[in-house]
Amino acid sequence: MTEHLLTQDFAPELTREDRMRARDRLKVRRSRAAKRRLHLLWLLAGPGVLVMLGENDGPSMVSYATTGATYGIGFFVPFILLTFLMSVVVQEMTVRLGIATHRGHAELIFQRFGPMWGYFAMADLVVGNLLTLVTEFIAVQAGGLYFGVPAWISVAIGAGLVILSQALRRYATWERILMALAVGNLLFIPAALFAHPSGAELARAVATWGPLPGGFGTAFLTLLLANIGATVTPWMIFFQQSAVVDKGLTRADLSQGRIDTALGAALAAVAAIATLVAASPLYAAHADVSQFSSGADFASALRPYLGNAGASLFALGMIEAGMVAAMTISTSSSYALAETMSARHSLNLDFTGGRVFYAASIGSVLIAAAIVLIPGAPLLAMTLTVNVIATLLMAPALLFLLLLANDREIMGDLANGRWANLAGGSIVVAIASIGAFYGVITVFPQLLGQ
Amino acid sequence: MDHDAELLGALEPRQFSAVQQQKLPRRALGRFTRALLVLLRLYIIVAVPVVVYAFVRALDTPH
Repeated sequence: MTEHLLTQDFAPELTREDRMRARDRLKVRRSRAAKRRLHLLWLLAGPGVLVMLGENDGPSMVSYATTGATYGIGFFVPFILLTFLMSVVVQEMTVRLGIATHRGHAELIFQRFGPMWGYFAMADLVVGNLLTLVTEFIAVQAGGLYFGVPAWISVAIGAGLVILSQALRRYATWERILMALAVGNLLFIPAALFAHPSGAELARAVATWGPLPGGFGTAFLTLLLANIGATVTPWMIFFQQSAVVDKGLTRADLSQGRIDTALGAALAAVAAIATLVAASPLYAAHADVSQFSSGADFASALRPYLGNAGASLFALGMIEAGMVAAMTISTSSSYALAETMSARHSLNLDFTGGRVFYAASIGSVLIAAAIVLIPGAPLLAMTLTVNVIATLLMAPALLFLLLLANDREIMGDLANGRWANLAGGSIVVAIASIGAFYGVITVFPQLLGQ
Repeated sequence: MDHDAELLGALEPRQFSAVQQQKLPRRALGRFTRALLVLLRLYIIVAVPVVVYAFVRALDTPH
């Protein structure tokens, strides 16, 4: 869609990055020719599943657990389903953008809107990603503590594995390993079953959007924002678009890209609701979770209700959530920073060609890991606050996304239609309004009689 | 090992890293679009300190 905007001719010359991507595309071409539909979907799936399960990260799972422990099974069950529906609407646009332009999100913002808006968008992303990375290592550390592993060892192993994952120098291998790890997100499902949830209660919650004990207040709004921040965040936009480009998806792969996104959202929604359900016995027991410092406290507090096996699954799920998210979020930073600096950006690069790309990821991981080990840091408060900040940063990120998805010069006939704009616009207004309301009642709590 | 010719044919022209390095031209932003971008930037400048304030207040408040 962007051919007419490019001025220079080029002579095809295969770099290592091109060669790796071309091999993957050959497999896709052969599978499509043989009409092996499931195999084709398997080859083309990845960015959507990874972005959705990656966003079921440490702070997200703590947010869902806090929600379950504070409100039980009720309003937030259908609300979580709604947030994942929102994320499908948003992420589908990134698939179309990646396919239409073959460029990452950060470079598109810089090139189409100019450096000023580009640097603003990057500042939001870098700050948001670094804060979120910190909370991923909080989750890894917390899960480790539950099993008696000292914090510094868990964090060191976690950071080491994230850095090691960058050493694969092959997008396809990196993606498949992460997808295998991301399946661990489903550990929250058996953990929830140990809570013996009532199917009727869940169905009633979905049908009635209730009950909502305690009504509206700052705590409710904080959890509302944290739950939105647990499903739609700026890094997801940057990551999925860049991953779609790195994987080499083309116009012919659009439907598989959409299925990939929807499948990821469905899996992630089930795991999110399972986390809420697993923590709901704490609501029934009137447990005070405000003093909890991490996901490990949830696992320990849930042991009397879920048993050793259920609580261990919960803690393992926290470690997995933190690890997969640390890998995807640090890669999102790599893509965006390298795109901003007009440096090469691909997981198919070798270290010499991808110095900036790999340095961004490794640097952010080391900084985040070091912050987590600061003694006495308020970990749960940090975790919830990060999701709230992610939600606030989402409004401008979504506006950039909508503007790009409506840019017919680069999108051609893949540009947004009326319904996509209506849905996207509504999400921007809803997120900005809830955020503004949160701000007002935080500064003026007396407005809600608190 | 796949032949280069076959590999070359597997990629669309715009998928080659050399082409991806070429910059797209800047688009002209309308007044309304620019106003929206400024508005949301102001929103962030106001909202983030509020969240930080809420965070600090939560730490200071005894449970």
